[in-house]
Amino acid sequence: MLAVVVAFALAQTAAPAVRVQFLDGPTSADPFSAPAGVKAIVFLFTSTECPISNRYAPELRRLAETFVPQGVLFRLVYPNPAEDATAIREHMAAFAYAGATQALRDPTHALVKAVGATITPEAAVYAGGRVRYRGRIDNRFVDFGVDRPAATEHDLRDAIAAILAGKPVTHPETQPVGCYIADFAR
Amino acid sequence: MKIVATVVAACLLVSHPRGAPTAETAKNAEKSTYNEFSAASAPPAVPYRASQLAAKATARNATARNATAESAELAEKKNYKRVSAVSAFSAVAFPTYAKDIAPLIADRCAMCHHEGGSAPFSLTTFNEIKRHAAQIAAVTRKRFMPPWKADPLDGPFVGQHPLSDAEIELLQQWSDAGTPEGDPRELPPARSWTEGWQLGAPDLVITLPQPYTLPPDGTDVFRIFAIPIPTDRPRFVRGLEFHPGNARVVHHANIRVDPTPASRRLDAADPAPGYDGVIARSANYPDGHFLGWTPGQVAPLLPDSLSWRLEQDTDLVVELHMQPSGKAERVSPAIGFYFSDVPPTRIPAMLRLGRQSIDIPAGESHYTIDDAFTLPVDAEVEAVQPHAHYRAREVRGFATLPDGSTRRLIDIADWDFRWQHVYRFVTPVKLPKGTTLAMRYVYDNSPSNARNPQQPPTRARWGQRSSDEMGDLWIQVLTRTDQDLEALSRAFRPKVAAEDVIGYEVEIEKHPNEADLHDSAAMLYLELGRYEPAIAHFTRTTALKPQSAQAHYNLGTGLTMARRLDAAAAAFRDSLRLDPSYANAHNNLGNVLLAQGKNDAAIREFREVARLQPQSAGALRNLAAAYAVDGQFPLAVETIDRALQLTSSDPIAGELRRQRAMYLQRRTDPPRQ
Repeated sequence: MLAVVVAFALAQTAAPAVRVQFLDGPTSADPFSAPAGVKAIVFLFTSTECPISNRYAPELRRLAETFVPQGVLFRLVYPNPAEDATAIREHMAAFAYAGATQALRDPTHALVKAVGATITPEAAVYAGGRVRYRGRIDNRFVDFGVDRPAATEHDLRDAIAAILAGKPVTHPETQPVGCYIADFAR
Repeated sequence: MKIVATVVAACLLVSHPRGAPTAETAKNAEKSTYNEFSAASAPPAVPYRASQLAAKATARNATARNATAESAELAEKKNYKRVSAVSAFSAVAFPTYAKDIAPLIADRCAMCHHEGGSAPFSLTTFNEIKRHAAQIAAVTRKRFMPPWKADPLDGPFVGQHPLSDAEIELLQQWSDAGTPEGDPRELPPARSWTEGWQLGAPDLVITLPQPYTLPPDGTDVFRIFAIPIPTDRPRFVRGLEFHPGNARVVHHANIRVDPTPASRRLDAADPAPGYDGVIARSANYPDGHFLGWTPGQVAPLLPDSLSWRLEQDTDLVVELHMQPSGKAERVSPAIGFYFSDVPPTRIPAMLRLGRQSIDIPAGESHYTIDDAFTLPVDAEVEAVQPHAHYRAREVRGFATLPDGSTRRLIDIADWDFRWQHVYRFVTPVKLPKGTTLAMRYVYDNSPSNARNPQQPPTRARWGQRSSDEMGDLWIQVLTRTDQDLEALSRAFRPKVAAEDVIGYEVEIEKHPNEADLHDSAAMLYLELGRYEPAIAHFTRTTALKPQSAQAHYNLGTGLTMARRLDAAAAAFRDSLRLDPSYANAHNNLGNVLLAQGKNDAAIREFREVARLQPQSAGALRNLAAAYAVDGQFPLAVETIDRALQLTSSDPIAGELRRQRAMYLQRRTDPPRQ
């Protein structure tokens, strides 16, 4: 117990590299690394069974269609250790993510902790060496059982657009509604 | 003048069926009012006992309790003792899965959340439950789950599984403590859940001819399916069990029966399975019974005495409310029927309170509607079902007894359109004659209502589409006797017709050129004795369909009822110009002419009816009546004799014989002055 605390204290001073598993790539890699020319990375925390996450699949594909040509990389993050590569591939095929985004597994929640995600679906936008936005995709879901027929505030879209335009993000943190990542670690 | 009145009345009542408007839409209009009220089909009057139904309703509960005992138990749960013990023991005494959580989840959640159940995932094992611990704590704290919108203290209702505040706190503590398993020896005995049909093997299962494919994206989808019910004879139905076929996306189902082809025509007109739009007015609840499904609800089987009659060639009309899942989904529900061999001895009444005058200004956050009806007889409330759309926030129904005391029937402080339960009382609520049933709904049409289908909000009026608003409280009651049922029906029918006519006027404002709407509204106005608006709508139909003999005929009939005989005769003549072989128009023109004292012309019309319909005893009977009015009694008797040769069926033949005797008597009387 003590060792962990010490390790954590050290981590404050010298951030260890966050390692995740790319589904079609290295099994231990830095999720923040990207090819040259990439202006921002959008991480979207999801799970194969979370209904609210899944309902966002079409919207996420629309965002990718808009922003991938502008130099934005989309990475789906699966933090549930029970979801293996086979399950993830099936999920990506069923919801037509394949081709639109990369996928990575985060079974140790290294990336979850690094960006402070708690919910699926939750987005984190990394640009210029830091997390510039973390939170909901839009305001469609207000609470459990309370949702709008259509979103009226498009937080993730606006955040990406602001970053690409070199402007500050108006609301850098928002509260998503969905499934609890904490439950996946149990 | 007396004769005029009598004859006009006769044309509309005695010469039935040819006296009433017979437009296709008129037929629909007869069934146009949701079957708010099912009249008794004259079974013997059997006094009933509340306990029979109560016993049925409690079948799912271990024991029957009376309302007071249940309420006391619920009140006690609110002061759940274990929690105070937990805090008294400090951090050591955290709840465990085995001792605290497993029994709670098994009792309140797992009836839906089991493999093959109506919920989208299972909560029956330690691993399944701990991996949803934070979720369970959150959704119960927000009272999203278990899905029970009504204040349980107004029941007890069949199938309610409320959690107390203390139990919700326990779930939170268990999640916060890291989901400790505890001592497995403390686990409750494992439950087994009935696989498949909860009510047993159905006598008949119907499904969609082909599955519907729900698109991946967008907001709530409403799709209506007309499914034929194959039966070679009339059946008596004790129950239906609905299986959604895809629990991920099917959120609830409204179910009706349509004995007309209206629904199947709408379904057939759309190339994909089902159709978008609204449920046809000819699709109703059968004989005062609720149908429908929300997840977790299985209506118990009815006793044989309360079954409902299913005619041959009837369609089940199923409106599915679905929520897209993010990918295309196949939806193929199945409905199981449970039949009885014997006809019902009792028929419930379906009362409907509510307003179709709803007109909520944009931005209004506290718009209220009220309605009330006073029972003319003793009655017992079996079940209630509120209905409203996305802007409704508070939904309340209550009864004020003759002694001034009030009994709440349903109280929903946070209405959710997606959980439209039928709330069945475990113990029916006895209400004496003179009790006023009332409802009060509150709507929020402001931008702060996230569910508002219009952003920014717009004026919202009554309408069946989910973007419009509704506000109904359906109340199913049983009366002591069939005579009481008839008295209730007589008192209730004008109220609901008057409300429906308001709804038609709203629809007509939106669709001013739909002749069917004008005809249906006119029929209701005639029923209410409000002839001038009826005539105005029939006139509008003649303008929309100038070549329709039926439209002019309907106008003529409305004018006749309003005693505007010259205009009526002109309308019938317009009708006959378009269709000279329109027997009903000849008949009604004959009646008008008779009322005007133009006996010869009238007799010509009735002769023409008899010529056009040589096999109709009714045509000859009306001709005979015309001869009698004209004082030609020998001809009247002779004509009745011809009619008697055409029919031997008793009510008609008996009536003819009575008429004949009367004419015979008059034939020998001195001639009229």
